Amino acid sequence: MYKELKNLDYFCKMGFPEDLSIDLATSISKLSLRNPTILASGILGSSCSLLKRVEDAGAGALTTKTITKNPREGYVNPVFVDLGYGYLNAIGLRNPGADNFSKELSKAKKNIQIPIITSIGGSSIEEFMYVAERMLESGSDALEINLSCPHVEGYGLDIGSDIKLTQQIIKQLKSISSKPLFAKISLHQSRIDILEKYIDAGLDGISAINTVKALAINIKALSPILSNIVGGLSGPCIKPIALAVVYEIYREFPDIPIIGVGGIQSPEDAVEMILVGASAVGIGSAIVRKDLEIFTEITRGIGKFMLENGFKSIRELIGYIHRR
Amino acid sequence: MNNRSSMNKPLNDEAGSIQLPRQTQSRYILGEVYSIRQLTPSIKEYTIKLEEEINPNPGQFAMLWIPDIGEIPLSFADYSTGTVKFIICRVGFVTTYIHRNILVGSRVYLRGPLGNGFTLCSLKNCLLIGGGYGLAPLYYLGRILAMNNCRLKTLLGFKNSSDVFYVSEFSEISDTYISTEDGEEGFKGTVVDMVRKILAEETFDIVYVCGREQMLMKVVKECSAKGMKTEASLERIIKCGVGLCGSCSVEPLGLRVCRDGPVFDGRLLLKLEDPLKNNREEICIKN
Repeated sequence: MYKELKNLDYFCKMGFPEDLSIDLATSISKLSLRNPTILASGILGSSCSLLKRVEDAGAGALTTKTITKNPREGYVNPVFVDLGYGYLNAIGLRNPGADNFSKELSKAKKNIQIPIITSIGGSSIEEFMYVAERMLESGSDALEINLSCPHVEGYGLDIGSDIKLTQQIIKQLKSISSKPLFAKISLHQSRIDILEKYIDAGLDGISAINTVKALAINIKALSPILSNIVGGLSGPCIKPIALAVVYEIYREFPDIPIIGVGGIQSPEDAVEMILVGASAVGIGSAIVRKDLEIFTEITRGIGKFMLENGFKSIRELIGYIHRR
Repeated sequence: MNNRSSMNKPLNDEAGSIQLPRQTQSRYILGEVYSIRQLTPSIKEYTIKLEEEINPNPGQFAMLWIPDIGEIPLSFADYSTGTVKFIICRVGFVTTYIHRNILVGSRVYLRGPLGNGFTLCSLKNCLLIGGGYGLAPLYYLGRILAMNNCRLKTLLGFKNSSDVFYVSEFSEISDTYISTEDGEEGFKGTVVDMVRKILAEETFDIVYVCGREQMLMKVVKECSAKGMKTEASLERIIKCGVGLCGSCSVEPLGLRVCRDGPVFDGRLLLKLEDPLKNNREEICIKN
């Protein structure tokens, strides 16, 4: 009954009157989501008001920007390139720092109903622990460790490349809280034997994939465009890569929830990602073309697909192609 | 890229209000500096010829990239068939570099138009209010409004007489008045003082304002109290320019200047709790 009411409320708000028997709710570990769209990390998630706008736009959950112990200004412009077939960014983990952001997160927890996943970054176990403690104190519903930012030395990919260190980080984080712990991994970290170690260490779910390390040159200027020279590639061009990674993770670990991220621009893209094994989908750079309406567009589109194809619950769709 | 008819043709709209479809694009377009004019000791006007047409709406902005130096947001001060004018005030590292090193013939790179511009109208009674280099987008706006048979009055505020610029340009399209705080030229006082004086005698269908945010908020309050529609263009440090990174968010509403703005309806700005700060004093990282 409760779920129906929630759905009714949701559909009325989102203008989806077709069929209330369609269940769009999903879960990742202990988090319950009203629909499978999640704001991906690094996008807009640095203030309560921005997170609230994304909730109002219809997202099922929110991931904050990656928070580090100290504030980071990020890189000087240019930090973003529109390639036509995708986007390149090197924002440089710009964020207000754990102490400032914890106040923002407390405020967000009072104003926002949907789950908030805090993306945390660090260059050492101590830094990860410091940030995690602040975020958990402020009510974060889950943590996502950033093991894969491709453009900040000593963070992200540099940490994620050290398998032993990552295992230790996971173990220590799990020792201070029972809240779900996810890892955001890159294409290069999707080796099954490595993920198995992380899961054994206590990881509850996997977010795949982060942006892919990439570079853009402007030949008229005879110059790289990003001030940091290299950045992370996102958008439509990485979707097939993300699909393959999610497919393989689901095939090996069907019980580990996956947040499929990478180039999702439409309901069809989201359905593809769910069919290969994602329990939820991360939305990021699609905002460039479609702005915040993308969350409702994708949710409604998934619902329409389910109606047309005889699916009642999103759970029937997750990993469907593995069971054909 | 842009299929829209040229902005420079008069717009015919009987209802008197025209909302053009929002057109943005963020590839880099090559430009070559065609001419430079020193307007005041700290402000120069750059005329740049672009490789292709971009047709911005008045109030939209572009990101100007100088390789190896940086990239800054600039409002279109004017645009006509592939030629763009920017008014650049020397305020930071990139603008100082531009003033010193970008010469006639220099190559620059531009992505835009970005963001949402002003609402255009025809046959209306419009007031333009600019402070300092904030007058830039109002000139392009004024030129388009004048072409659409709007009746224009322009109030421009400057610190003192050595800061005064663009008065003859505005005078060609509009009934123009200036204020200086030292009173050496025009009305003695701030542009807000001048606005109060004008509003005591006249009303307008719409008021457009751009400049320092303390000034802008006062103007929006004065005009809204008299029931006039206002639109204000805000300035912030802009990073991605497309609404992804959240760096230019105006709190507590979470308005992204680069995507939701830079032009906002005054009624929205009245909902902001704290008076806005000028962007250069406010490092967004504190948010």
